[in-house]
Amino acid sequence: MTTATLDHSTFDWALARRQIQGILRLELRACLLGRRAFVTYFLAFGPVALMTMFAMFSDAAEFEGIATGMEIFAAFFHGYVRTSIFLGTLILFMSLFRSEVLRKSLHYYLLTPVRREVLVAGKFFAALIASIVVFSIATVALYILAFMPWGVGEVSRHLFQGPGLGDLLSYVGIAALASTGYGAVFLLAGVMLRNPVVAAVIIWSWEAANFILPVLLKKISVIFYLEALYPVPLPTEVFAVIADPISPFLAIFGLLVFTVAVLAVAAFQVKRMEVNYGDD
Amino acid sequence: MSDTTVDPNDCIIFDNVSKFYGDVLGINRVTLTLEPGITGLVGPNGSGKSTLMNLTAGLLRPTEGDIRILGLAPRDSHLLFDKVGYCTQYDSFPGSMTGHDFIYSYLRIHGYGHQQADALTWQALERVSLKEAARRKVGGFSKGMRQRVRLAQAISHDPQVLVLDEPLNGLDPMARAEVIAIFQDLAQEGRHVIISSHILHEVDMISDQVVLLSGGYVVAEGDISGVRSETMDEHPIQVLIRCDAPSKLASKLFENDFVLEATLHEDRRGLMVRTREPDRFYPLLNDAVAQQGIDIETVRIADGDVRAVYKYLITSEGEAQ
Repeated sequence: MTTATLDHSTFDWALARRQIQGILRLELRACLLGRRAFVTYFLAFGPVALMTMFAMFSDAAEFEGIATGMEIFAAFFHGYVRTSIFLGTLILFMSLFRSEVLRKSLHYYLLTPVRREVLVAGKFFAALIASIVVFSIATVALYILAFMPWGVGEVSRHLFQGPGLGDLLSYVGIAALASTGYGAVFLLAGVMLRNPVVAAVIIWSWEAANFILPVLLKKISVIFYLEALYPVPLPTEVFAVIADPISPFLAIFGLLVFTVAVLAVAAFQVKRMEVNYGDD
Repeated sequence: MSDTTVDPNDCIIFDNVSKFYGDVLGINRVTLTLEPGITGLVGPNGSGKSTLMNLTAGLLRPTEGDIRILGLAPRDSHLLFDKVGYCTQYDSFPGSMTGHDFIYSYLRIHGYGHQQADALTWQALERVSLKEAARRKVGGFSKGMRQRVRLAQAISHDPQVLVLDEPLNGLDPMARAEVIAIFQDLAQEGRHVIISSHILHEVDMISDQVVLLSGGYVVAEGDISGVRSETMDEHPIQVLIRCDAPSKLASKLFENDFVLEATLHEDRRGLMVRTREPDRFYPLLNDAVAQQGIDIETVRIADGDVRAVYKYLITSEGEAQ
């Protein structure tokens, strides 16, 4: 007869890794194949469909040169981050705990000897992997399609002999970091708030208003760090409060510190979480 | 049930525990010591059964008081759930999961590797006789099969404490008997099996001890005969006797002052006797039957079960059952 022989008394990294693998098995399936995944696919690839039409029906002669295309793509991608990635991560990450509470299924996890902080990490990684995979593929598709009006040969030269590949990797990195930062914020919102719409509107407004916020408040946002990573400067908005530019290293470091801090608060909240489905 | 010589690391201890949901009372000032064996939680909806079970399983934290499960505090969930298995009333699985995957995934989250998780999964499925349906999707399971797969999940990691919310719901008589046998086996192995059920005769039949709840308070606890004795002053025990000469027997029994009342059945084939002293009554009954040559068909206590006890306790507190 097989018997249980796990030691949960001390923090064991190997055990935590196995538990996270167990959580990933379930959560990745939900994030990539569940109902919420289809909305994320729509948000990620809807703009790709629009870009395909642009690639098919636009004439490069309408633009001054590929440099103009790079500026246009930067502005387009900024909008993509603020809408598609923002809403896609909202759906993926906010459902991690909130939908389980609504479905009365959270106890499946809470009745296991998994530390709550490990549970938060496992769920976060699952949604993050799904988000990065989906939005990275979409970003690559968008970038290539955006330059197609100049022809395949010009796109190839831009990618492999010009700055294209580096820029593309930067955009994929921005998509991944946007998933990380927004993901952490929405996971926390899903743990703390009952109504995701209110949370989404508040966070979206905060991010949208970032350009007019005082320098100190700008730093308490995801978009501030992402803007520092754009390979092509974004057009300055009217009434914008200009902050000193930060280096890409500081931007990535700042965003990761921000993410860890938000996840720590989420783990604290999940540790205090109670479940009561009874009739009492 | 509250023997002070027992090892606290082997018991479930509630020390003056209260749980409020805002202003709403869940349970109030509950002090209990549960020893290994089958414990039945009895009470109507809203009596505090689910709160008590969720507190035992660590899903809720007490507003006041202290809980120790085998010496562990429920806040140490990573230690507690190695020792506690909880079978809820609620499905926690996506319908697309198979019975095997439901338990296997649960064990992987515990931290078991593939081989051990797989072996424990088959072991648990076999114990609830669900091996044949293991590869079927739980979405297509009957209510009874869902109940059994949840039970298999709860026992799969070999817990010392098993908390079961209405575990017999939806089971056919054969499955019911099998599941009850599992509970009894687990209790004999020295584990805690805590069961809530609306079906009082089932609780009565399988429990070593009962906790009777009403309005968030524990109104009685202990083995059912002990609890019944405590209500003897207000509610003398009723003994039903079926025999061929009930009038003769009644007159003989009435010669003793501890027989309070004897009522003949309408069919003249039996009588109901009320007494506060069953220990003196039964020898008297034996003597009377022997002396009078009365042919006895049945002798049984009519109000010694948990249903009657609960009714007496709640009625005496002025509450409706």
